[in-house]
Amino acid sequence: MDRDTLRRLGMLNQLSLTDVQKEEIIAFFDERESEAKAELDVIDTSDVERMVHVMPVFTVVREDVASQPFTREALQAGAPETDEGYWCVPRVLE
Amino acid sequence: MKIYNAKKEITCDRKIVVDDMILTTDMPTTAGSKMLDGYVSLFEAEVLTRAGNAGYGVIGKTSVGEFAIDLVGETAQDGALIEDGILKSATAEAIKSGDAICAITLDVNGSVRRSVAQNSLVSVKPTYGTVSRYGTIPVACSGETVSVVAKTATACRELLDVIAGHDDKDGTSLPETEIAKVSETKPVRRIALLTDMTKGVDEETSARLDAFSKKLTALGVEVVSVENSIIPVSRVAWNILMSAELCNNVSRYDGVKYGYRAQNFTNIDELYTNSRTEAFGELLKTAIIFGSETLSTENYMKVYDKALRVRRVIVEEFARLFADYDAVLTPACSMMAYPESVRADKYISYKENFYTAPASITGLPAVVAEGAQLIGKAFSENALLDLVALCEKEGK
Repeated sequence: MDRDTLRRLGMLNQLSLTDVQKEEIIAFFDERESEAKAELDVIDTSDVERMVHVMPVFTVVREDVASQPFTREALQAGAPETDEGYWCVPRVLE
Repeated sequence: MKIYNAKKEITCDRKIVVDDMILTTDMPTTAGSKMLDGYVSLFEAEVLTRAGNAGYGVIGKTSVGEFAIDLVGETAQDGALIEDGILKSATAEAIKSGDAICAITLDVNGSVRRSVAQNSLVSVKPTYGTVSRYGTIPVACSGETVSVVAKTATACRELLDVIAGHDDKDGTSLPETEIAKVSETKPVRRIALLTDMTKGVDEETSARLDAFSKKLTALGVEVVSVENSIIPVSRVAWNILMSAELCNNVSRYDGVKYGYRAQNFTNIDELYTNSRTEAFGELLKTAIIFGSETLSTENYMKVYDKALRVRRVIVEEFARLFADYDAVLTPACSMMAYPESVRADKYISYKENFYTAPASITGLPAVVAEGAQLIGKAFSENALLDLVALCEKEGK
């Protein structure tokens, strides 16, 4: 892990990191990388299938019935700002 | 010491608390994060609906560490719970105080099991898919499980019976035919004590494990020390999978639709970046960056895909063990109390989850009691609880 990669990852994840945080994260990555080399890479998985789900996953279907589970007021109750039933989005156009 | 946000007084006899990862409509749910400060859900978790229908009443919510990936809740936005220099878990304190008979929690990275072990309580992390996760804050969806904490195995069992069952609203909920296997209990007669999983534990933890093992032996259960080098690898694989899933799940928090919004920004990118940077804590930021890196083009096959394959190796290793044993016995933490000083290592939960990762990555049921952890075959949670109940009875 180098600083350029870290800067790119921060940008992709919409996070701004201080220099101290960057140093700490680089040390964290180095440690995780060493662990992976020592513990995971020694296990031969060339003939092993990936296991995404530990239990079988079943497709869930339900009747295609229109409904109104929540009112507009309820849906907007958690919004930072609303006005007459509309979400107020900060002005972001330069 | 504030251990939970209390609701108005309720008259119900079966008082419970829920942790801050479980959605409630009459109290905020913050996942311990400034990002969700004051957020009130439009709907409640399925487990709360089921518990309510069975006569349980929620008296309040206990705080959790930010998105429940820390040790015992010390990264909560409202601060760590510390008493006499020891880190405390709000959920465990609520049960110990007797204010609530049970707690419903989301076990993401083992913090529940660690605090239960340290407080001599009982918890059950059921088989993945047997309890609905609908209405819980998603973090590491492939391994996190709604769990129950109480003072006794019987109390755990009673609440678990109520909240378990198929739920159409949860895509990972197992069909009733599968969940019914939980009631086909076979008594636990042979247990493998995994010696490789006892590395790094302090004297007191070791003594508790030893005492529990002797108690089981006195009950006629055969406890055999077994060496195994595969199960301990769970931690490294789980850290990769947990971080990758967390990175995706918290990408929805952008400061626009709900939650925290930064005050200072000049364009849309700054709005997102400043909101997330100001709201998220340091452990979470590191977990996001780490998860993102494991999913990058360069690392996907080398790291993430490898961890998924190792997960199968671990599941198969447990299956091999369960051919000879009914359960395995391990510690749930390395020490019986975390001094405040452990926080000097910001990433200690990525190491301490060595003891809890095996059950998380495999979805197997785990019961923590008397400071130790029993991991059983899929659907064996009732058998594990029955064994602990027997220990409790003998101990009286």
